[in-house]
Amino acid sequence: MSILIDKNTKVLVQGITGNIGTTQTRYMLEEGTNIVAGVTPGKGGLKVENVPVFDTVEEAVNNFPIDVSLLFVPARVAKDSVLEAIDAGIKTVVLITEHTPVHDVMEMKAYALQKNAILIGPTTPGIITPGECKIGILPANMFCQGQVGIISRSGTLAYEVAANLCAIGIGQSTVVGMGADRVTGTNLVDILKLFNQDKDTKVVVIVGEVGGTQEEDTAEFIRKEMSKPVVAYIAGTSVPPGKRMGHAGAIIEGGKGSAKSKIESLLASDVKIANRLYEIPSLVKELIS
Amino acid sequence: MRLHEYEAEKIFSKYGINIPLGGLAKTPQEAKQIAESIDVPVVLKSQVLVGGRGKAGGVKIVDNLDEVDIVADKMLKTELKGYKPEGLLVLKKVDIKKEIYLGITIDRTSGTPIIMISTEGGINIEEVSRKNPEKIFKFSVNPLQNLYPYQVISIVKKIGLTGEPLVETVNIIVKLYKVFREYDGLIAEINPLVLTEEGKVLCVDAVLEIDDSALFRHPELNKRKLDAMSERDKRLMKKGATFVKLNGNIGLVCSGAGLAMATMDMISDYPALSPANFLETGGGITSDLMVDCMELVLEQPKLDAIFINLYGGINPIHEGAKGIAKVIRERKLNIPIVAKALGNRQEETWETLEEVGVHIIKESESQKAVEFLAKLLGVKAK
Repeated sequence: MSILIDKNTKVLVQGITGNIGTTQTRYMLEEGTNIVAGVTPGKGGLKVENVPVFDTVEEAVNNFPIDVSLLFVPARVAKDSVLEAIDAGIKTVVLITEHTPVHDVMEMKAYALQKNAILIGPTTPGIITPGECKIGILPANMFCQGQVGIISRSGTLAYEVAANLCAIGIGQSTVVGMGADRVTGTNLVDILKLFNQDKDTKVVVIVGEVGGTQEEDTAEFIRKEMSKPVVAYIAGTSVPPGKRMGHAGAIIEGGKGSAKSKIESLLASDVKIANRLYEIPSLVKELIS
Repeated sequence: MRLHEYEAEKIFSKYGINIPLGGLAKTPQEAKQIAESIDVPVVLKSQVLVGGRGKAGGVKIVDNLDEVDIVADKMLKTELKGYKPEGLLVLKKVDIKKEIYLGITIDRTSGTPIIMISTEGGINIEEVSRKNPEKIFKFSVNPLQNLYPYQVISIVKKIGLTGEPLVETVNIIVKLYKVFREYDGLIAEINPLVLTEEGKVLCVDAVLEIDDSALFRHPELNKRKLDAMSERDKRLMKKGATFVKLNGNIGLVCSGAGLAMATMDMISDYPALSPANFLETGGGITSDLMVDCMELVLEQPKLDAIFINLYGGINPIHEGAKGIAKVIRERKLNIPIVAKALGNRQEETWETLEEVGVHIIKESESQKAVEFLAKLLGVKAK
């Protein structure tokens, strides 16, 4: 078992004919991901790595059953493409694109919520269930099969944490990159709930970073409902606070958002805190055995 | 991108929000002319993009017309927190009956715009948010709909407004929200919004910060931002790289902000080491981008070593390695460089870097690479 994706997941790639779309499609196929179709407006009828390309998502879903759409599209059309996928009835959408305007992300998130779809990202490396399915840009050689769930706001840190666990023989059930933007389609706590229900996930690792209040919000869920042990690491304890711009951001966070605030609220929920990255594997090892 | 107060005021005013009489002065003479046309008392406000401007002496009230140019001259020459003012906003001083905080920003958790209003605050509004959050009234806006006056009238009533000022403030909120949406705002703030003795409602300080990722929708602002940047900074921005100058001795090149922060945390465990910079390449690594990154890092004044930490997921690190190698070769660098690079095509990456003398760490733990760096430089952890 795993969360969100497994070996039966059928995947659509929007933006498949671009440079990154094509390269990453090849990497995913090499890992056994079941990519059934691609979409690039104006490129319908082509094939990329033997995958048929359509002009619209609607045409693709009329020809193939599709569970997840993965997007490698330019930021300025990201909203259009995400709404297209949701309107075509796709229930899980993964947006890799960086630098998407945050007002567009707010609209996508609200729309996904309204249509009961899950939006992962933007600025996510994607999702991997090692050995079964990889949807995104995560380098597969960093991961291995096992029972640890990882949720990471940072892409590259997810790779490192997984690789460090693999180095001591601990694999992962599923690794989810949440995305690092100001607003993300799915929040940390939403993913944590999925891991809580997954019978093959024994321990969850949260890789957070300074800014926002997602880790603080998660702490409350962990205290009240989480039945599995959680390890957390917050990147940026040594980072000096940035230049302040107006008061509104600080008011909304009401003093939260710093590494200290996150660590304190997670500790209060019995989460094991790794102060440095390298402490994660030994903490997980203790909890899993 | 944060706009200057005078720019934000101009935009707010275009959307029908009332601001005090006055204008921007670039010289003491201009300040005096403006003061003459609107009459004293006036408020002179230094146009500098730093927080806590008032507390730092960047706002002065002048009652005597003859003193305007003298005070203006001094303020124009005074740097605030290291920044030279772009000019002075000269505004008619208003008679304040009541001060209101009004701000719109993004609630990151719910992913919605949030409107906040309070009668507490002024410059201490952040303290109020920590100690008395119940004194700030909030309204979340559905991003898929427009904002309508009826939705916000009840939060405005909660701060005690009635009659004409109530209606006027509601209208200002709707106008400010329109600015926030149409300009891709991260923050649109009026602090204070002033209720005058004559019953008018005026915007006395304007803050507008715009999402850099949306500047393609605002060509005039984009141009202004680009005009102020070097060619290299433009190239870095175009590729999505982020650079922040710090003050230490270890130059950093990392792929991903999280990885960069985690690396900085590890380096900070060594009292003798500290990051010279934060550099996050983003997901668009090319050979040329890495040339720019390396050259930027090499400009940092106190470098003892360079630390490179890359993952090849979306990034073709084998291409990036060629750029790094090119700089090392062309500049005949002999500063120690430690690199950890893993992911797709890692072997090619290692080979390219090893050929030019970079110390390659092949294990997955960044910590091992930082330990190697420390040993190389002969420093110990605390």
